[in-house]
Amino acid sequence: MASAAVSVASAPGSSAAAGLGAARALARRAFRDARVRTIAFAYLFALYAYIQPVGYRHAYPTLAGRLAFAHSFAGNAAIRLFYGYPYDPVTVAGYCAWRVGGTLAIVAPVFGLLAAVRALRTEEDAGRTELVLAGGVGRGTAYLSAMAAIAAGMLILWLAEFAGFLAGGLAAGGSAYLALATTSLVPVFVGVGALASQLAPTRRIALELGSATIGLFLLLRVIADTSSGAGWLRWATPLGWAEELRPFTGARPLVLLLPVAASALLLAAAARIAAGRDVGTGVIPSRDSAAPRLRLLSSPIAQALRGERGGLTVWLTCTGAFALVLGMVSASISSAGISKSIQREIAKYGSGSIATPTGYLAFVFIFFILAVSLFACAQIGAARQEEADERLETLLAQPVGRRGWLGGRLLLAASASVAISLVAGLLTWAGAVSQGVHISLPRMLEAGANCLPVALLFLGIAALAYAVVPRASSGIAYGLVTVAFLWELVGSLLGVPKWLVEVTPFQHVGFVPTQAFRPGAAAIMVGIGALAAAVALGVFARRDLAGS
Amino acid sequence: MRRPRPSQTPLDPHGIDARGDPAATAIHTEGLSKRYGDTLALDRLDLTVARGEVYGYLGPNGAGKTTTIRLLLGLHRPTAGSGELFGVDAWRDPVAAHRRVAYVAGEPFLWPALTSAETFEFLARVHGGTDVAYRDVLVQRFQLDTRKKIRALSKGNRQKVQLIAALATRAELLLLDEPTAGLDPLMEMTFRECVEEAKQRGQTVFLSSHILSEVEALCDRVGILRKGRLVDQGTLQELRHLAAQTVEVTFAGGTPELPPLAGVHVESAGPNALRFEVSESIGPLIAALSVTGGSSIKTLTSREPSLEEIFLHHYDGSDGRVDG
Repeated sequence: MASAAVSVASAPGSSAAAGLGAARALARRAFRDARVRTIAFAYLFALYAYIQPVGYRHAYPTLAGRLAFAHSFAGNAAIRLFYGYPYDPVTVAGYCAWRVGGTLAIVAPVFGLLAAVRALRTEEDAGRTELVLAGGVGRGTAYLSAMAAIAAGMLILWLAEFAGFLAGGLAAGGSAYLALATTSLVPVFVGVGALASQLAPTRRIALELGSATIGLFLLLRVIADTSSGAGWLRWATPLGWAEELRPFTGARPLVLLLPVAASALLLAAAARIAAGRDVGTGVIPSRDSAAPRLRLLSSPIAQALRGERGGLTVWLTCTGAFALVLGMVSASISSAGISKSIQREIAKYGSGSIATPTGYLAFVFIFFILAVSLFACAQIGAARQEEADERLETLLAQPVGRRGWLGGRLLLAASASVAISLVAGLLTWAGAVSQGVHISLPRMLEAGANCLPVALLFLGIAALAYAVVPRASSGIAYGLVTVAFLWELVGSLLGVPKWLVEVTPFQHVGFVPTQAFRPGAAAIMVGIGALAAAVALGVFARRDLAGS
Repeated sequence: MRRPRPSQTPLDPHGIDARGDPAATAIHTEGLSKRYGDTLALDRLDLTVARGEVYGYLGPNGAGKTTTIRLLLGLHRPTAGSGELFGVDAWRDPVAAHRRVAYVAGEPFLWPALTSAETFEFLARVHGGTDVAYRDVLVQRFQLDTRKKIRALSKGNRQKVQLIAALATRAELLLLDEPTAGLDPLMEMTFRECVEEAKQRGQTVFLSSHILSEVEALCDRVGILRKGRLVDQGTLQELRHLAAQTVEVTFAGGTPELPPLAGVHVESAGPNALRFEVSESIGPLIAALSVTGGSSIKTLTSREPSLEEIFLHHYDGSDGRVDG
């Protein structure tokens, strides 16, 4: 009764109050939908921010060691390609600003893109936006609620990174600013994702548009950081802005105006388009009719390949382009000024010397191993999506066996992994040879194929996760690959026992072409992967199909 | 895969006894049960559907209709009991079982990037045995634009795609899970014609539905599912014995006073009319009427209970006579 009286008394403002209530409910819903991703990214940010200062102190306890490190490793153009330009790698804080800033500045845009596309385009694809808008909620309110939820997730990310630095022993003020420099990229790429969600008619196309944008900005940053005289290009890419904020190395907070302005512009543009278009469509028209194309429909596996063609093309193109650039950059690697002690430190990564073009290429293939492993996870994710969307039920009600279906998907994933690996080897070779590096094609193809044992191991494990815990399988698979890779990067710096360092499969790769291929380790990894896949087939054949 | 069935299996009181002749059975379950966590979705289902029969499987939302079909197809694993399609346990050998079955799911889950024509091609290649000429006829009859991509189709049109693909296989058994959901009335009529044709060709149809008129029009036998239990089954004639028969009588003058009769409920149906709900024998009512008002009776109509009344009889929560 009391509430009725209040609502009557406040009649003029009640619709605004109702709108606020709806906005709150929507924002809470969106935040809950994103919680697993938010937690995973926050965990990654905190861990990485904590482990870098600790690892650096442990690996380079003296100033002399740090100076030598700065002169060789940090000054290496090839290393700058991944981490950006080091302004002060001699101090712990400066090192962290470089390493953490550089790495997480690539991760933050991914978070922003995924968050925006999930909250906007995925909701619309599923028809939930239509439901919400039919329920007396304005388009502006719905949009702002989604953004509020993402902003809350961003705050959590900032807090996680900040807390990681604090725990790692960095100063509070500088840590807060460094964390801000990293997370300032999130709203920019939320803007990119929001805009892509308006342009693209489907979630998949929105993600492809956004990923291409991230790739382009990363390429600009790579060119700015590795080519002489191209430093100005840093201003042309948000990833460069994060560097120009110069945390711990002469902070320039005014640069923050750039991401703020870019975010505001992108988000406003997206909001404007969202307000003026038909719900459920994109600005880019989707073709609703087509003459039948009957290729690749002869079996479930052919049809799976048909569905994955687009994604596979993107993977092949991106891997190939990156391989070509790395191959070309390798020509600039020389051993000048790298001391023996530093070379030993670098050797702790397990790749041997990186002071020569071939040594460098051997080292960078660790990133291709990572990429192919992530591709394997994505393939299992695609299989899971068929089940979550219940299309698998339609298919398995036909005379199609479960083992045959999953086995076929695994075969498809493995074959595509082979293709991506070989393309990486081939184009690295092409890039290197184009710049006059002497390197043999068979050896680089071998380096490419050397990505496969780890990738197949993770493919098998991902398949097992999919069979046993379908709903959590993507998180488990991506999580394992990420943790294994980070452990490879930092584990050896922390001074933990050898066996603990060697838990990650990346430790058991012989870095071709400088090292020999390790057939024993490769056989064990492929064997474990095959065993996991075999168990997965058995388990999958004996469980209920699980919808979303 | 055929196993000898235990002789103590209770005989289905209404159905066709197919125990001795597996070749005559399309669907056979014994004690088929499924539990999801705390929920008992299907409780000891004993069901036999003979070949060539059109079986209506009735129940409200959540009664266990879809669960039954998923178990029959081996998509979910029975917690207890077993189910067979043409003597084959689909959980053990889905490929062999599914060759003889076409399935229409309650929701059309198809591949959004494929057009209808591409979907037909894909499903035909995967299933085998599709009658392409008949499929073209069905496309005409259901008025489907096969150039459209699945994602651009309304739910009803996506449902048509599923239906056409299933009907065109001419499979021996059609497992249809609420197949007309989303279809307009004209298309629903087309669907009924197709089921009639399938029946004439000797195909078996298992029609899960909650649309009573559809089941009443198409089905030879009906099973009624309530909270995971099969509470009644038989031909419509057989089911009618349970629910009351309605007798309406109009009189020339005023309505007569009748003595209380066992199993007869009386109410007024207008100034000169009475309505009797007769749940037992009609004899005592006829006798009483002929004694007290035989000469003044103007009209007498008797109506059998509709399927709706039978259905509601089973679902009325306050009805103590039925114990699920």
